[in-house]
Amino acid sequence: MSTSAHVHVPRAFGKASLPYALVAPAILVALAIAVLPLLYALWLSFQDWYLLRNPQPVWGGLVNFEALLTDGALWRAFWRTWVWTLGTVAVEIALALPLALLLNRDTTIARLASALILLPWVMPFIVLGYGWRFLLDSEVGALHALLQFFGIAGNSSILNDPNLALAVITFISGWKGMPFMVLALLAALKSIPDELYEAAAIDGAGPWQRFASITLPSIQNTMLIIGLVLGILAFYSFDLPWIMARGGPQDATTILGITMFKAVFTDLRPAYAAAISVVMLAILAAASFLTLKLGRLP
Amino acid sequence: MNRGNKRLRGAFLDLLTILLLGLVLLPIIWVFVASIRPDADIMSRSLIPMQITFDHFAEIFSRGDFLVALRNSLIVGSLVAVCTVLIAVPAAYSLSRFTYLGRDFIGFLILATQMLPAVAVLVPLVVIIRSLGLANTLTALTFTHLALGLPIAVWMLKGYIDAVPRELEEAAVIDGSSQLGAMVRITLPLIRPAVVAVGTFAFVLSWGEFLLALALITSAEVKTLPLALQTLFDPYSFSWGVVMAGGVVIAAPTVVLFLLFRNQLVGGLTAGGIKG
Repeated sequence: MSTSAHVHVPRAFGKASLPYALVAPAILVALAIAVLPLLYALWLSFQDWYLLRNPQPVWGGLVNFEALLTDGALWRAFWRTWVWTLGTVAVEIALALPLALLLNRDTTIARLASALILLPWVMPFIVLGYGWRFLLDSEVGALHALLQFFGIAGNSSILNDPNLALAVITFISGWKGMPFMVLALLAALKSIPDELYEAAAIDGAGPWQRFASITLPSIQNTMLIIGLVLGILAFYSFDLPWIMARGGPQDATTILGITMFKAVFTDLRPAYAAAISVVMLAILAAASFLTLKLGRLP
Repeated sequence: MNRGNKRLRGAFLDLLTILLLGLVLLPIIWVFVASIRPDADIMSRSLIPMQITFDHFAEIFSRGDFLVALRNSLIVGSLVAVCTVLIAVPAAYSLSRFTYLGRDFIGFLILATQMLPAVAVLVPLVVIIRSLGLANTLTALTFTHLALGLPIAVWMLKGYIDAVPRELEEAAVIDGSSQLGAMVRITLPLIRPAVVAVGTFAFVLSWGEFLLALALITSAEVKTLPLALQTLFDPYSFSWGVVMAGGVVIAAPTVVLFLLFRNQLVGGLTAGGIKG
């Protein structure tokens, strides 16, 4: 720490304003696309603005927040979003942990595979969403045929089944996010010194014991932080359930992102949508704080 | 004997890796395969194509709306890439080379925008852009797409500039160059691969972006590729082969980027994810 302070002694070239001028455009973009919209959403959430009634927003106080407390569909979307978020993260961990353990070897194939495994993460949602719709299609889908064979899907696609649509899209969401978790877990696994395993082997610890007492404690922090990052992304999902099912069938995959989108574009209530996004932000901040707090406990 | 056992175990694990990787990537492989086989062949539901055809690509590239979308995506993507680089390089240089009041906070602010999902700012952005009269314009789309890659670009480039010894620049300054001149002539050429990677990254993120385009664009002449792919879904007569071919066109730059800049990409992902 002190050495870096030493290295970065201000040198006497350039004017004092130069660094600010260089960074100014980036700050401007951050203000325009993040800070200003957030503040505007907060202001908007206190307005009464239903486009079919009044073209301009008028001050409404807590009218939107009162409305969302009694909005049954919103509450259902709210709980569904938690199922979706926790389900996505659970699938991500369940898929990523075995894969990371398997890829944590120094062979050509393992190296190649740890690169290629990133493909679901970097592919655009629109491509993967339609790809999975194709696989699950009742007329041409190979996966549909398989699910039908096992009696999980009927004659119609599983995406039309209100009971299973959310589960299958949650799984796909976890599949798409899994590579990021693999990447992080691999980095954590590679930083565990081999001596620990050698010492444990000498002490007669079996593979399961070694995993539970060495591997797991060394990676659980990474798992928590990355799980939180991926959980935030899942909480704010929109693309996958929209592209694959438009929030249907019968609202079965309508999570908060979709409710909010429909509040603006279908119901024409931008102020109400802004109130939803303010509440989402508050919930997220609280949940993140709690997760990190719990993570610090021994 | 122990050694033979170990090699056998290694070979088995490699085989298992290949199998699982194939399973994980199967949906993506299926998209690519479906795009080059006739629709009748797709109906067979098997992975192995009996016949190969490029008709689906010929069809989408003969559709006017798809070509318009292709042009729009190219315009927006290129502008986003150029602007991201033009904004990120000076910002990264400033954060890396200078010590000044508020520097850490500015760095945090820029990184925090990366962590903010598009859904969180969608409503206010749409309202603001509409009231500015910029709905249905590529200008608005370009501007919002800047937020996708800019923060990661700044942090990645900062890392690369940190690694260039400042003595190199100081030598140039002693020789009579200004500091900005030293940056352009000494540091910039050294970090050029990273600059190219960051620009390509920004292009690809904009190319595949769906939500902002869906929210800001409704008229056909300014639609981008992800929106055009939706319109390929004609409820009365559509071909899965054509839709998959459209998907391949959207996925192609991603794959290219991935093959070229895998290492920078991994570095960027970890910088954006873990440091936050």
